[in-house]
Amino acid sequence: MEAYIFNLVNLIAIYAILAVTLNFIMGYAGIYSLAHAVFFGLGAYTSAWVAQNVHPSILLTIPAAMMAAAALSLLLALPALRVRGEYFVAASLGLQVLAVTIFSEWKSFTGGIGGVLAIPPANVFGIEVFKPAHFAILSVVALVIVMALINALVHSSFGRNLRAIHDSESAAASFGKNVPMIKTISVVISAALAAVAGALYASYLSFINVESFTLDASVLVMAMVIIGGTGTVAGPIVGAALLMLLPSLISWFDFLPQTEIGALQQIIYGLGMTLLMIFRPGGIVGRRAKA
Amino acid sequence: MNMTASANDAPLMQIRNLDKSFGGVKAVDDVSMDLRAGIVTTLVGPNGAGKTTFFNLITGNLTRDGGQVTWLGRDTAGMKPYRIARAGVGRTYQDLRLFDGMTVWENVLNATEHGAFPVPISRAHRIARRERIERVLERTCLADKRNTRAIDLAYAERKFLSMARIMATEAKLWLLDEPASGLDPNSYERFLAILREDVAEGVTVCIIEHNLDIVIGISDRIAFLDRGRLLADGDPHTVMNDPELAKIYFGDRE
Repeated sequence: MEAYIFNLVNLIAIYAILAVTLNFIMGYAGIYSLAHAVFFGLGAYTSAWVAQNVHPSILLTIPAAMMAAAALSLLLALPALRVRGEYFVAASLGLQVLAVTIFSEWKSFTGGIGGVLAIPPANVFGIEVFKPAHFAILSVVALVIVMALINALVHSSFGRNLRAIHDSESAAASFGKNVPMIKTISVVISAALAAVAGALYASYLSFINVESFTLDASVLVMAMVIIGGTGTVAGPIVGAALLMLLPSLISWFDFLPQTEIGALQQIIYGLGMTLLMIFRPGGIVGRRAKA
Repeated sequence: MNMTASANDAPLMQIRNLDKSFGGVKAVDDVSMDLRAGIVTTLVGPNGAGKTTFFNLITGNLTRDGGQVTWLGRDTAGMKPYRIARAGVGRTYQDLRLFDGMTVWENVLNATEHGAFPVPISRAHRIARRERIERVLERTCLADKRNTRAIDLAYAERKFLSMARIMATEAKLWLLDEPASGLDPNSYERFLAILREDVAEGVTVCIIEHNLDIVIGISDRIAFLDRGRLLADGDPHTVMNDPELAKIYFGDRE
């Protein structure tokens, strides 16, 4: 039971990092990305590769994962952010589809469909962390650091510039802001921090494959942000916790048809999201719609 | 008002043969104009005369089809709007384009923040900046609303916030697009007072305005645009008393 709970804590913390970093660009800059799982995946594969081929120290795996994701996001952001907002959604969707193919085919790096097996546990200053309870400390600390970083950014001139761009790009430019540059930097930061979640995920599960990094995962993370409350501090965490707990909740109510959990989950997601958008479009934590 | 003092200086902005068409319609047609330091120029003309397009061309928001614009002696061709803004050309928008989700204070503060990266600034600089913003908020009567989000402000307050943002910058030239339209008489007087003070402190203003009191009351010079062409450019009384222009302006066109 204890291991079960700490397993949930770890998964919630990892997905909360994804939701918090996606919320950074969605909620503050108004940039909608459907490729967040790509950076999650690239972070996981890079970290797994470094752990197997170099050393499993998180001082190596996490920075390597962040750098790989930052570099890839730059390739997406540089051309896509020079044009209007809608195109970024399309470009990110394209990257997501492309990445799944590459993740499935590039066998020497990703292990193909079979994935990467026997990834060494995370090594924190010489200590191997593999018990869920111990790993929970690592994942929660990582979440807190990511949140603190993003909170500091949001309350700096950088965060104000993002919100200004969100409200009016032309006015922001009229006050001297290099709009494409600021948006690009925000996407790179978001991708690099999403890769932290990937690195944790790889060393926690010790096995990864492309199933975790598909479009479904990108949509799931976006749903966490929207359901929790876009542009709020607590919203993405609430959204991540709720959606990660949902499968457990369903299996806890034993009058529900347990063989149909997958389908049931989809129905609840869809229904919940629709009702939420009708009655509380700002999300659970977000402010109520203006009268 | 201090036309004689500045008349010999090189113009801040020199506009030569500016052209812009939208799908065959000439929005700005061969317009040449000098904007000189300390001079208040008012652009008048009927709706659709090309006044806002003229602003969009000289701020780089639109690319020109032909002609030349120099700012402080430098050709602005190919310069992005943010570069022209940083070089000292400030503007407001007719539809304001406030940062609606941000508070009054954040709107004004952010108008002064250029850099993409948050760089640490010195304590002295921080204090000076805060005092500057305080002063701007007092002059625009927004000091009590500093923590109110822009979207929650009343109409006149929104107009003044638009002014406050440009006042907080160090722009040498202000391009104001109908800043006083729809203001009540009191607000309107306050607006004129602000404008006079800043002009006295050396700001150069080019303003699009329909209100004839403003046009006569504060302008040193009037430029009359119609269908993209500059029909007249001179002192307010001469331009406004021209019966041909009055006909166009009041829609009495034959």
